[in-house]
Amino acid sequence: MKIIRRALRLRSTRVALGLLTVIAFLAAFGSATAPYDPVHQDVAHLLAGPSGGHWLGTDYLGRDVLSRLMAGTRLSVLSALEAVVVGLAIGATTGLASVFLGRTFDYLSNRVNDTLMTLPTIVFAVAVTAVLGNRLVQAMFAVGVLLAPMFFRVTRAATLQYAQAQYVEVADLLGASRAHVIRVHVLRKVMPTVAVTAASAAAAALLTVSSLTFLGIGVVPPAPTWGGVLSSDLAYLSLAPWAPIAPAAMIMITVGALNTLADSIRDSSRADLDAVPALSTITDVNSEYGHAYGTPHADHPAA
Amino acid sequence: MAVTVEAVRPGGGLVTARPRAGSATARRLGRWAAIYVPVVVASTFVTFLLGSLSNANPAASVLGDNATPQDIVRINHVLGLDQPLLVQYGRWVSRALQGDLGVSYFTQIPVSTSIGQRLPVDLSLAVLAISLALLVGGATGALAAVRSGSWIDRGVTWVCSAGSTVPAFVVGIGLVVVFSVTFKLLPSSGYVGLTDDPVGWLEHIALPAVALSIEPGIWVARQLRTALVDVLDQNYVTGAVVRGLSGRRILFVHALRNAAGPAITVLGYYVPVIIGGTVVTETVFSLPGLGQLVLNSATSRDVPVVQGILLVTSALVIASNLFVNAALGWLRPGVNR
Repeated sequence: MKIIRRALRLRSTRVALGLLTVIAFLAAFGSATAPYDPVHQDVAHLLAGPSGGHWLGTDYLGRDVLSRLMAGTRLSVLSALEAVVVGLAIGATTGLASVFLGRTFDYLSNRVNDTLMTLPTIVFAVAVTAVLGNRLVQAMFAVGVLLAPMFFRVTRAATLQYAQAQYVEVADLLGASRAHVIRVHVLRKVMPTVAVTAASAAAAALLTVSSLTFLGIGVVPPAPTWGGVLSSDLAYLSLAPWAPIAPAAMIMITVGALNTLADSIRDSSRADLDAVPALSTITDVNSEYGHAYGTPHADHPAA
Repeated sequence: MAVTVEAVRPGGGLVTARPRAGSATARRLGRWAAIYVPVVVASTFVTFLLGSLSNANPAASVLGDNATPQDIVRINHVLGLDQPLLVQYGRWVSRALQGDLGVSYFTQIPVSTSIGQRLPVDLSLAVLAISLALLVGGATGALAAVRSGSWIDRGVTWVCSAGSTVPAFVVGIGLVVVFSVTFKLLPSSGYVGLTDDPVGWLEHIALPAVALSIEPGIWVARQLRTALVDVLDQNYVTGAVVRGLSGRRILFVHALRNAAGPAITVLGYYVPVIIGGTVVTETVFSLPGLGQLVLNSATSRDVPVVQGILLVTSALVIASNLFVNAALGWLRPGVNR
């Protein structure tokens, strides 16, 4: 709570949250509040520039770009959220468990994690749609599985750090149960780290979902998406070179707001906890391999 | 992506004496094997499983619509599809190791042939993009670190934050608007082989490579800046200044080598992202690479081709991880002992 209050004092947090609220509103009510039907074709106005009638102009079929972007928000945002939830559920739980379930589980979960990190995200997502069906739900589930290592590494590193703290030893000596230690002394401290990772992962997932919809993966043509608008803009670039600006801005604003949020949570929690382990652990190739750390309670057979 | 690396490895010290060859090298190789062998096995198994999970029925597609159930059983036996999963996996891997990735369901062209034709496009794109990222990102990061706290530093930080919100294909579209549509300097699509026409190759590959290099370039700049600011604060740098060494010598001989680790590590970590970016960038510039192939094969559910591409790209990722580790070992010989 203290961290949230401290983060809210920063202007950057408030701006980022404001922008994300607008995006959330568009995701919920974008198609209902859009000025035009996003698939209605106005043949008299093809590739029209911005005007009073069409604020962001029209595309090659005369469809209103503003309406398409507003209506396309839901699919883009929900798909990104799906990937984050999948990655969080898999990565954070196994990351926490790897510290407490013993060496075999630790070794296995680390190797699975290394394996997932060798799969190229977009190629894997495309391959999964070839097998499970060409829907965005399948593709973003695959992306979520590949986001899991991000959560796994960060959660594991943070859990290791806090599980080795002296107050955990004291709690053990006082006879606290393992569940109590995890809930009160570890989970609560690990939360800010996971929140930072979730915000960064949401930004990454949004970039991936716009790439996939740009490639035409998982979307049936008339349905609007941010990436889909960009892909039709590309085909008519010589006629309407300004067209990609609006959809690109939607992606950049959302991703930028999520990154800013991640940064401000990290900065606000850094003052509180001795040091939230930096995301360095994600990129740390060697130090975590092998059994350098072991399990935190290995030295305390009494625990 | 706001990933900051603050230390590559705990306890990583300065560059000191080189480790003795022999047993140390053997131990290091053993440790690498313990890490990479399971990873290689598991990632090939995932790729193999994708094929078994698909609903595609190879026997039916080989025989056509008039196949009797007996024929399907016979063909399944010929193709080895009635064997246990692990036996099938073993066969698939041993064939793949011999360069046999199967044939496309639809064109009957061997998968290795189609991949072999297209891989050079992706490799030249990725290598050029990574070199650009290292050069430009490295120079920018070093400049920001040397002038840390100045307006240059703040500008670099700001540009990196803004740049990391733009997907590679959007950068590509922007480059097409500026260099192809407006000024008509470079072609917006197509590809010429390097050996056919080096100048034409560069003209066609330059814009996609720049588009692809932005993201990794930003990571390199950020990591190098952070690490170099720390290194320049170390006692041995102060010592070198006191000894009267020139600033250039200190930066290039002493500081950069010690600060390069995080940047190279992060570059290795993002190789899968770069390969994914290649697929999307190829689509923007209509390059005849693996991206077009994987997209077409995925829509037509041509599973052997998709499997082959996934296998080759993950092999590239693992190979580049090994390369990154070797580079780190060379940069900081003390660390891996």
